[in-house]
Amino acid sequence: MTLVDFTSLVVSALLLAGIYAVMSVGMTVIYGVMKIVNLAHAGFMMLGAYFALELFERFQIDPILAAFLTFPAMFLIGGVVHWVLVRRLPHSDEPTLPSLLLMFGLWLVLQNLGYLIWGNTDRSIFTPRTLSVVNVGPIAISTVRLVVFVAALVCLALLQAVLHYTWFGRSVRALIQNRYAAIITGVYEDRTAGIAFGLGIGFAGLAGGLLGSLYSFDPDFGRAFLIRAFVIIVLGGLESISGVAIGALVLALVETFSILFVPAGYQLAISFGLLALVLIVLPGGIASLLAKARRLA
Amino acid sequence: MNASSVVTAAQRVAQWRSAALPWISLAALAALPFLLPSPNFVRLLFTTFLWVTASIAWNLLGGFAGQVSFGFAVFYGMGAYTTALLMNAGVHPIPAFMASAVTAALVSLIVGVPAFRLRGPYFAIATIGISEAVRVVMTNLRFTGGASGYRIVEHRPFRQLEHYYSALLLAAIAFAISALLVHAKFGLGLQAIRQDEDAAADLGVNPYTYKLAVHALAAALTGIAGGVFARYAAFIHPGGVFGFHTSVHILLMPVIGGIGTVWGPVLGGFVFGIVEEEIVASFPQVHLLIYGTLLILIILFEPGGILGGLGKLFRRFRGKR
Repeated sequence: MTLVDFTSLVVSALLLAGIYAVMSVGMTVIYGVMKIVNLAHAGFMMLGAYFALELFERFQIDPILAAFLTFPAMFLIGGVVHWVLVRRLPHSDEPTLPSLLLMFGLWLVLQNLGYLIWGNTDRSIFTPRTLSVVNVGPIAISTVRLVVFVAALVCLALLQAVLHYTWFGRSVRALIQNRYAAIITGVYEDRTAGIAFGLGIGFAGLAGGLLGSLYSFDPDFGRAFLIRAFVIIVLGGLESISGVAIGALVLALVETFSILFVPAGYQLAISFGLLALVLIVLPGGIASLLAKARRLA
Repeated sequence: MNASSVVTAAQRVAQWRSAALPWISLAALAALPFLLPSPNFVRLLFTTFLWVTASIAWNLLGGFAGQVSFGFAVFYGMGAYTTALLMNAGVHPIPAFMASAVTAALVSLIVGVPAFRLRGPYFAIATIGISEAVRVVMTNLRFTGGASGYRIVEHRPFRQLEHYYSALLLAAIAFAISALLVHAKFGLGLQAIRQDEDAAADLGVNPYTYKLAVHALAAALTGIAGGVFARYAAFIHPGGVFGFHTSVHILLMPVIGGIGTVWGPVLGGFVFGIVEEEIVASFPQVHLLIYGTLLILIILFEPGGILGGLGKLFRRFRGKR
């Protein structure tokens, strides 16, 4: 492998990591605030992809812009889902059996509504950008991947800003750190959780819209990404937003370089292998490693 | 003195009833093929018994120990493929089924060993991961025919009743395990883990080994069910036995019947087994949509399933009188 090959693999892994981070961060927010594993994430990502496709085909809106428009729509859907279903679950500090089964049922419903509405043929968003390339020296970078990467970075930066500089963001972080203490200091849990859930679903839809520009999709589209999102948030330590970025990078690097040794069909098996490895070697995720390093320093 | 003896008499009647009910049901089911000798009806009951077995197995892990698994298709499929490979190699079905149980139990460790050491959502997540990973591998594996499936050639005459009774026996064994477990130390330990893992650990129950053991037990039962199915079907493919819908079915049945009870999964398995083909036939497009909606409604409104709902109705009826 030449240096150029190596560099282009690293670059493509980096570009992949951006979209992986967007797709996982919503799950982390929801898990952190409510301790609910959003198994329906895959379904919402699928909805986002189809939403972007419909906007693109019906109104000729640029697919990247369409992905951004997906966010408010999915945010509202997420708020409604929280109000109608999730709110009624028993509160807990640990993921409960009812919450897992409820979100799983919701995923089944979304996925099969997708089949009902859009059928099971593969769809894709195809623009002049799809096949064009940007040349940086000897390395060729796919334009659409670059654009998606930039869009992903913008979203993550916005999310960080919201979480760090607004009252809503402070209440979210307070709930993640210690639910009881947060409630005592006057955080309105139900409302914050509702908005956080909407935010998480909004990010799922956004990620789906962006992924729709990169891959073809059908109503079962989110599943492979759901497992990747799990691996990433476990790598990141489940509740840490910055952990997600590192987790996404690790998974993207592993996946990209594994193509050299393992057939591409086995990629999901690699994700699972990485998950098992992390659970054994580093159960607290990268966040615990960082905390340990900080304590030692 | 008088009152206490009345109570014990009533208790004895109740005890006798609850002890006799399984035997009566078993005898009735064993006699059924002779009362209604229609091959299609017998086949429907045969698949229902396999569903009941898997449902009871899921409940051992999910209902008693409170660990939700979305990946029971892995065990079902592993059992089916093990039996299929061994029978084509000339092994008698019964040792082949035993081998299926062992294979499935070993596979259960792949998820259990890393995931059960930690509390939290890790196990549920890992089960989704492994079911996808295993299906991908089995779809690409050369020596089992990959995605095109695998055919079983049995050099013996096909007797439907033989299959029927093997499935009935399996379901009966699964039920016996579940019924004996609830009051045994092992089963009580599992229920303690579900209610409060810290308290259970303080009382000397090791959550890690208990969960691993019950996971392996559930996997073994499901694996045998897969093996019995493979022998009957004579053809299996990864999209079927390892399919996502198989996992959905297996977890739906105990939820319908009543999680964490002995009779709930049996009831759920029978209801599901009998109506499932009807539902798929009438709503081929939306049957998973129906199951998803059902799951949501049960969790939100009647988490006790059919048994819980019946219990409530019964109490209300008695209270009014």
